[in-house]
Amino acid sequence: MFLFTFLLKSRLIYKYFTTLVEKELIEECRNGDLHNFRKVVEKTTPMIFSVAFRILGDEDAARDIVQDTMVTIWQKLSRIKTAETYKTWAYRIAVNKCYDQLRKQKRQKENRYNDQTWAIISNHISEEGITELENKENAQIINLLTNKLSNKQKAVFILSELEEVPAGEIAKITGMNRSAVKANLYYARKNIESLLQKYL
Amino acid sequence: MKMDAENDRYKKMVEILRKSKPDLTQQEEIQNEVIRRIQRESQKFSGVSDFIEPLFGWVYIGWVRRSLIGVAVILVAVFVYQQAFIFKQVKNISKQVVITDNETAPASSSLLDKRLTLYKISTRLSPGGEIKISESQLEELLNSYNDLQVKYKDLLRIIEDNPELKNYIENKLNQEKKYKPDI
Repeated sequence: MFLFTFLLKSRLIYKYFTTLVEKELIEECRNGDLHNFRKVVEKTTPMIFSVAFRILGDEDAARDIVQDTMVTIWQKLSRIKTAETYKTWAYRIAVNKCYDQLRKQKRQKENRYNDQTWAIISNHISEEGITELENKENAQIINLLTNKLSNKQKAVFILSELEEVPAGEIAKITGMNRSAVKANLYYARKNIESLLQKYL
Repeated sequence: MKMDAENDRYKKMVEILRKSKPDLTQQEEIQNEVIRRIQRESQKFSGVSDFIEPLFGWVYIGWVRRSLIGVAVILVAVFVYQQAFIFKQVKNISKQVVITDNETAPASSSLLDKRLTLYKISTRLSPGGEIKISESQLEELLNSYNDLQVKYKDLLRIIEDNPELKNYIENKLNQEKKYKPDI
């Protein structure tokens, strides 16, 4: 019991300390410290890449979005009111850039590997445990499942279900109100469930 | 029952996707590229932003800041145009030819005086283009004017020295006056 409490406390202290360090780092970067911004890039890049990769389903496009987002963050960092809002704000920039990219790719890529992808999905679902997917498979599956969703539904589904961002934060990131977020998530879920029922 | 199966499949699928975090390879390369791009862009805009930031850095609303910069640029442009216009006018006025009697070369002027007069006149020639003469032509004109003055003084001296000649000339001038019509 004592060990559990100690571990929990140390975890909380670590989390608090990490947040403080990030806050200080961001405050220094707001004053134009490029050296410290490299550390911010190091910490932010995986988070931005994850959301961009999942929304766009394309590794190269996601890498470009990461670069563009980090440059925009540097340029506009002085405009955020407080360092606490940094994460939500960074997500917001990335998601908006993903929207732009999705608009550019007006014609949806034709998925020629539908049958193959459904077979992969079927295998993974029927397995006992959970096996992590490689990037290529991951992109194929997300593209297949979210192909019929609108850009907003896709963003809400990915942020809520895959990135585990709370609804309130999603509302701030996407500029929607909470009920719109919930509605979009509901339709996205229904759509994916019906696909899974139809093809599996 | 069917609903539960659907729900389970969905939950399992989402769980698989959630656990499969996209793997970002060559992260260092992306970080370097980001820093390179920032340095390139900051070099591009550093001159402008160094000038703008101290003046308008206190305005946080983007469109207000841009409007203020726009207004300031217009005001500066108007001021510069106005100053250039006034300067041009003043320069034109200073170039107008204004020659007073005492600025003409005296009859007994030396070469230095002559050059000085020439300089005064040449620097005051009108840029309007009414009269355009070369420096050599102007020098020739001044030489002939000076010669004429010297000859006129010699003539006066000769007349003064000879009373008969003086009387003769005076009579002739009086006669000329009588026949000359009044203007």
